[in-house]
Amino acid sequence: MHCWLKKIAILALGVILSCPALSHAYTGVTIILSAPSQAYLEFVDHFKDELILTKNTALRVKVIDMQETERPVVAENSELVIALGVKALEAASKLKFTTPVLGVYTPLPSFNSLLAVSGRDLGNFSAIVLDQPYARQMLLIKTLLPDAKNVGVMLGKTSSQYNELIRDAGEKKVINISIETINQESELIPKLQKLLDDNDAIMAIPDPMVYSRETAQPILLTTYRHQKPVFGYSQSYVRAGALAAVYSKTRQLAKQAAEIAVRTQAAPGLLPPPQTPKYFSLSINYQVARSLNVIVADEEKLYKKLLEAEATQNE
Amino acid sequence: MKRFTNKETCCGLLAAVILALADGVVHAEEGNPIMSEDDYIGDVPKVLTVSRLSQAAADVPSAVTVIDRETIRASGIIDLPEIFRLVPGMYVGANAGYVYNTNHTVSYHGMTTAYAGSMQVMINGRSVYSPLFGGVNWSELPIAIVDIERIEVTRGPNAASYGANSYFGVINIITQSPLVTPNNSVIATRGSGRNEVFYRHAGKQDALNYRFTAGYRQDDGLDNRNDFKRTRFINTQADYRLGVNDALELEFGIADGARGEGNLANDPFVFLPRTKQINNHYQLIRWRHHISDTSDFTLQAFHSYDKSDDETTSVNLRPILGPLGPFIVKDNVYINNTVVQERADIEAQQTFAVGKQIRAVWGGSVRQDSVYAPHYLDSGKTDYFNLQRIFGHVEWRAHEMLTVNAGAMVEHNDFTGTDISPRVSLNFKPHPNHTFRIGSSSALRTPNYVEEKFRDRLVIPTKLANPNTLIFQYRGNQGNLDPERIISREIGYLGKIGRFELDARLFSDQIDDVIRDSDIADFKVPAKSLLLNPFLDADVTGDVNRGGARIEGLEFQAKWQISRQTNLLVNHSYVHIRQTTDGLKRDFPDSAPRNTFSSLLTHRFNRQWDASLAYYQVSKANLLGDGDEIDLIRKSDLRIARKFESGRWNGEVNMVIENLFNNHYEEFAEYNTFKRRGRVNVRLDF
Repeated sequence: MHCWLKKIAILALGVILSCPALSHAYTGVTIILSAPSQAYLEFVDHFKDELILTKNTALRVKVIDMQETERPVVAENSELVIALGVKALEAASKLKFTTPVLGVYTPLPSFNSLLAVSGRDLGNFSAIVLDQPYARQMLLIKTLLPDAKNVGVMLGKTSSQYNELIRDAGEKKVINISIETINQESELIPKLQKLLDDNDAIMAIPDPMVYSRETAQPILLTTYRHQKPVFGYSQSYVRAGALAAVYSKTRQLAKQAAEIAVRTQAAPGLLPPPQTPKYFSLSINYQVARSLNVIVADEEKLYKKLLEAEATQNE
Repeated sequence: MKRFTNKETCCGLLAAVILALADGVVHAEEGNPIMSEDDYIGDVPKVLTVSRLSQAAADVPSAVTVIDRETIRASGIIDLPEIFRLVPGMYVGANAGYVYNTNHTVSYHGMTTAYAGSMQVMINGRSVYSPLFGGVNWSELPIAIVDIERIEVTRGPNAASYGANSYFGVINIITQSPLVTPNNSVIATRGSGRNEVFYRHAGKQDALNYRFTAGYRQDDGLDNRNDFKRTRFINTQADYRLGVNDALELEFGIADGARGEGNLANDPFVFLPRTKQINNHYQLIRWRHHISDTSDFTLQAFHSYDKSDDETTSVNLRPILGPLGPFIVKDNVYINNTVVQERADIEAQQTFAVGKQIRAVWGGSVRQDSVYAPHYLDSGKTDYFNLQRIFGHVEWRAHEMLTVNAGAMVEHNDFTGTDISPRVSLNFKPHPNHTFRIGSSSALRTPNYVEEKFRDRLVIPTKLANPNTLIFQYRGNQGNLDPERIISREIGYLGKIGRFELDARLFSDQIDDVIRDSDIADFKVPAKSLLLNPFLDADVTGDVNRGGARIEGLEFQAKWQISRQTNLLVNHSYVHIRQTTDGLKRDFPDSAPRNTFSSLLTHRFNRQWDASLAYYQVSKANLLGDGDEIDLIRKSDLRIARKFESGRWNGEVNMVIENLFNNHYEEFAEYNTFKRRGRVNVRLDF
């Protein structure tokens, strides 16, 4: 544990010290959309609303739709670029290195890839990743199923790198985490069944091989047959049959992005490091809860409990 | 003012990012496509839809026993119906019957004949009971035990949900979905006159997931009987996803083989030991349509065909006929005992939820059964039986601690007209782990062809003008029977205390208009024929509604997880039958064993070795129709298994010894004596 903390400290210091010229203070925000989807358009609206609410009307907001332009044209010296989606982030990563870029709607592994490929520095390339913090997910499990002691996690090639982090988060919450890693899709069901034999619930960590549109059916059916719940990572997965999930709404991501935009502008310097979503919502599938005989007292109360618990853990 | 990124997430993520950099791991370069946000927040097809979600055990209106795949494996059974010994209150008689077929008979709470037809038996929602006699030709089903995912047994009438024939209960066998079946599997069994081999394959082609099983089963039967069975079959199951809201399920199967029939000890004259051929096939298609988050629609249609190719030639009848002997034309009589049964059924069903408190299902079905049985029906024509029904059921969570279930089925059929079968129950849940259930339901059992239309007889032409035929009439049914009625009342308890689970049921069932054999005093003999029955001191039998009975008792199933490696399952039932309205057959009250006990102890030694020990005890009973008075049976089975795993391959070798202590026992009838038997089983998945 200690050695990698040290590793981080050294590397972080290295990153900060080796950072090239600080980014220019910016006067506007350009939001690049991977596609003009409803979620992204709503994000833009909420972002603007948030700026108005916090009386930061000086920052002007421009919008570029990737479906209309091959290469976004950005005033690279005076804009903060917010990229919605991986495609937009990829395009934004090719801009001048001094232009600050904040990715939203980006999976952490994708952010890592783009960071490495583009050769950018963390000071000017950050993100609000889609991944909810493991601690928060485990808190959800503990609150909804107080008797659950053993939780199973299935990892694939992409998510296997988070093995340690997941275990640590589990230890802190006093949950016994069992991890199975698969290298090919044919291992999915046999290993899932192994996890289901020994664990009280399954916590889903996003991974393209493990959790996809195609695997949703066998995973949810198998876990249901074992009468065990799946804790998902998106509202969509909960509607499909997972018991519950913490996720962030567009409005909430926009709020966090606006806060970052305002804060970074005020103090010229670096973008904050990549972070998990700060504001979140709860999604519960009551039909599944009922069928598994899980009592969900009150969604409001449950949500408050989660917020309080996070607050205490932060102090 | 709070910092807007908390320490933990900041360090955690930063660590994740830097670790990735430090390791030089860039997944995009490995050939894995970069994950897009769509993988996280994109639409996922809804899997656990309203209709797929079963009620929580605490809310279910009847006593349901679920036998899962692991229990089936641990039991070591080789014949599917054997698994029902592990369901409280059920009677399983191996090798029952010798006239039409020799198959296991499975019944609940008594009144068991070789052709027990008081239970609805389905495979994936497709009825497999025979229209001819109401029971199931278990050995002829094109299904392998390894195909089974789980079996749900509803103990008690469930007509409101499962319709016709769900008189004493419902058995629904659910097979493994192609999505969770290993790519390839080979299974082989050998021992004590049994040889079986199966090959299973599962695959995927875009939106189509499929699996098929091919098998060959050889059963030499008992030493003193002509009851061998050879069966080969193929079954297929496929799931095809049409879109986000629609899925199609398809099932096909075909089986054929030879069977030994007849039993000299019971019939040395006409239905002599012989070989017959069976073949059957079925096709099923099911469309699941997801209407909304709270509503689903299912449309199912299936067709099944079943043929029993059987002929028999009697012995030389002249010596038996005494003075009439010289006058008959031929020495013996030939009987074409072919039976062809077909079924076509369409059913529509809608499941929906209203708010958080109500879930309901309603639907209807139309079915046509046809029977061609020239000997039994005394007709060269195919007979048709039509049935229509509508049903509905509501589950209302009135309160956190109270669930009310109510439902009814209205059915119209060609034999008995229109009738209604309602059901209501209340579940009190004072604590999430304890449920008390009180319920009442009524159901009807429609007479089957044996009871309604059997007019089988032996026809012996003579050289005389009058009588020009001698007739021995087995049965002379006229039809017009009323359905049997059952009103079942129960008090149930379902509870969990730590690692101990208990399912108990106290029941009192009233059965009226019991359909039973009776002598037909006024049988009309055709002109110019001579009825031989009086001379041979044999009655002409027919079926009538006569008599009533009360079946009462207590049954329970207990599961105890003694430790992480050891599990114990115990079942016990106490059943008492008494006559309430005169007219029951003498042996009725004894037709159910008073006490039935079964237990299964499983223990896992380590990752490779596990073993299980089963003990069964059935008290004496006087089985009806083709059955006899049978003494107390005690039987122990032992199973030892070793798993092995090597990369992509994994499998198991196991050995089963049935009747470990070699207590020779008779089951169902005196013509069945079982000794110790053993077999070795090998499974390989790859």
